[in-house]
Amino acid sequence: MIGIGGAISAGVFVMLGHAVTLAGTTVIIALILCGIINLFTMCSYAELGAALPKAGGEYTFSKAAFGGFFSFFTGWFEWISNMFFAALSAVGFAYMIPYILPMEMPLTSVAVIAITMIAIFAAINTRGVKEAGTAETAMILILLAILVAYILSGISTSPMQSLQVYAPEGLFGVIKATSYIFVVYLGAEAVAVAQAEIKNPSKTIPRAILISAAALIAFYTLIAYVTLRMVPPEKLSGQSAPIIFAAEHALGKLGTVLLVIAGTIAALSSLNTSIMAQSRVAYAMSRDGYFPKAFSKIHSKFSTPHVAVIIGSVFTAVLAATGVINFVGYATDFGFIIGFALVNLSLIKLRRERPLIDRPFKTPLYPFMPIAGVVTSLFLLIFIDVGVLSLGIILCLLAVFAYYARMVGYLRFRIAFGGISLGLGFFTTMLTFSVLSGAISFNGVSPTTSSIILFILIFTGITEIAAGILNVTAKSAASS
Amino acid sequence: MGLRRRVSTAIGLAQSTIGALAAIFAFILYYDFSGIQTVLNVPQNDVLFYMLILIVLGFVSIISGLFLVNEQ
Repeated sequence: MIGIGGAISAGVFVMLGHAVTLAGTTVIIALILCGIINLFTMCSYAELGAALPKAGGEYTFSKAAFGGFFSFFTGWFEWISNMFFAALSAVGFAYMIPYILPMEMPLTSVAVIAITMIAIFAAINTRGVKEAGTAETAMILILLAILVAYILSGISTSPMQSLQVYAPEGLFGVIKATSYIFVVYLGAEAVAVAQAEIKNPSKTIPRAILISAAALIAFYTLIAYVTLRMVPPEKLSGQSAPIIFAAEHALGKLGTVLLVIAGTIAALSSLNTSIMAQSRVAYAMSRDGYFPKAFSKIHSKFSTPHVAVIIGSVFTAVLAATGVINFVGYATDFGFIIGFALVNLSLIKLRRERPLIDRPFKTPLYPFMPIAGVVTSLFLLIFIDVGVLSLGIILCLLAVFAYYARMVGYLRFRIAFGGISLGLGFFTTMLTFSVLSGAISFNGVSPTTSSIILFILIFTGITEIAAGILNVTAKSAASS
Repeated sequence: MGLRRRVSTAIGLAQSTIGALAAIFAFILYYDFSGIQTVLNVPQNDVLFYMLILIVLGFVSIISGLFLVNEQ
C-alpha cells in the first residue's frame, strides 16, 4: 500500500500529455519500460533497506558503501531531487485548479498558486506534522479507489475498439517518453526506506516491493490505456492535466470532480512528503559536516529542522516559479536517476567489500540486476531535455566544488575562482568597450534594451574584477 | 566588522546575485519565456551558445561570491 500510494503523485495526472506528444499510443510501452527499469533498482533498495536497518534511503546506503564524496554526492542529489519533486507536485496541483474553478490559467497564475502551496506546506513542516497514519492510509485508499473506478468506468463507457499503434517519433519518441515519464514511478522505494516500521521486514519488504512494482506497471498501463481509449492521442497531446481532461470528456461532471479530488490528494501529499524529505536529508548532511551548521538547527518550540525546511522551500519556490511541468518533470527525473544509479553502485560495492553483512533479502540475478539498473538509468539521461541536462551538469559541478571547497583546499579553490572572476571581469570590460566604440552592435534590438544590456555589462565587469581581486588577495589578507 | 570584510560581503552578495540571475536568465532564454529571443534578436541556432556562456558566468559568479560572503 505504501509503495503504490507513495508512487502516485501529481506526475501521472499532468505528465501524460507531453508523453503522448512524444510517443503517441506507444506511451504504454514507455510506461512498461519505466516499470522494468524501476524494478531493477527496487531490488537493490530492498536488499540495502533490509541489510542496513537505519532509515534514510540513498544517502545512508552510499554512506555505508563509499563514504566521502560519493555519499555527499548522493545526499546532494537526494536533496535537490526532492525539491524538484516538490516543485513538480505544486505546479501539478496548480494545473488542476481550472477544472475546479472557472478561471484562466496563464503561466504567472500557475507560478503564484504553486508558490502559495509551497509556502503553506513549508509552514506546516516548520510547525511539525504528527504522524497521521490512519488518515494518510484512508487518503491513499480514496485515491486508489477513484483511479480504479476511473479505469473500470473508462473501459465500460468508451467504445470497444482496439488502440491503433501511433508513434509520431518512432522508437526514439518511445525512449524519450520513457525518460520523461520515469518520474511517475518515484516514491515506491518508500517501502524499503520505511522498513523500520514494517513487521518481519526480511520477508515483507521484498514481497511488498516486487508486488508494488508489478502492480504499478499494471496500474499505469491501464490508466494510459483507458485514457487513450477515451480520448484520441491527438487531442490528449499537450494537455496540462490529461487524465482529468479525459474524465471530463468521457465521464461527465462527476468523473471530473472525482479525478480532481484524486489529483489534489496525490499532489498535496507528495508536496508535503518531499518538503519533509528534503529537509531531513539537509539536516542529516549538516549533522555529518557536509552542509553548513545552520541546516541542522532545531526549532526550540516545534523541534523541527526549520532552517532546512525554509531554505529548501525557497529553492523549491524558485523552481516552481518557472511554472513549466516539462522542465521540473525532467529535472526531477535527472536527480532521481543519478540517485538510482548510485544505489545500485552502493549495492555492488557492499557485496564485494562487506560480503558478511546479514542480508535478509538478496537481489536475484546478481550482478545482472544492479548493473542493468545502472546502465538503463544512465541511458535514460541521454534523452533528457538539453536545458535540464545542462542544469544537471551545473549541479554536478556545484556538488564537486561545494564538497572540495568545504572538505579540502578551501584557499586554493578560492584563489582559483578569484582568477576566473578576474578573467571574466576583463572579458566583460572589453566587451563593454567594444559596444561603446561601435565595434559590436546590437542589431535588431531597441535602444532602450541596448542601454539596459550595456548597464548590466558595466556593472558585471566592475563586480567581477572587484570580486576577483578580493578572492585572489584572500591569502595575504588572512595572514596579515 | 573590518572594512575589507564589509566590502567583501557587499561585493560577494552582488556577484552571487549576478550569477544567480545569469543562470536563471539562461533558462529563460532557452525556454523563450515572454518571447525573449525575439526581444533580444537571438537566432535559434545561437541559443545554446549563449546559454553555455551565461551558465559558466553564473556558476563561477555564485561560487566566487559565496567565498566572499563567507570570508573568515
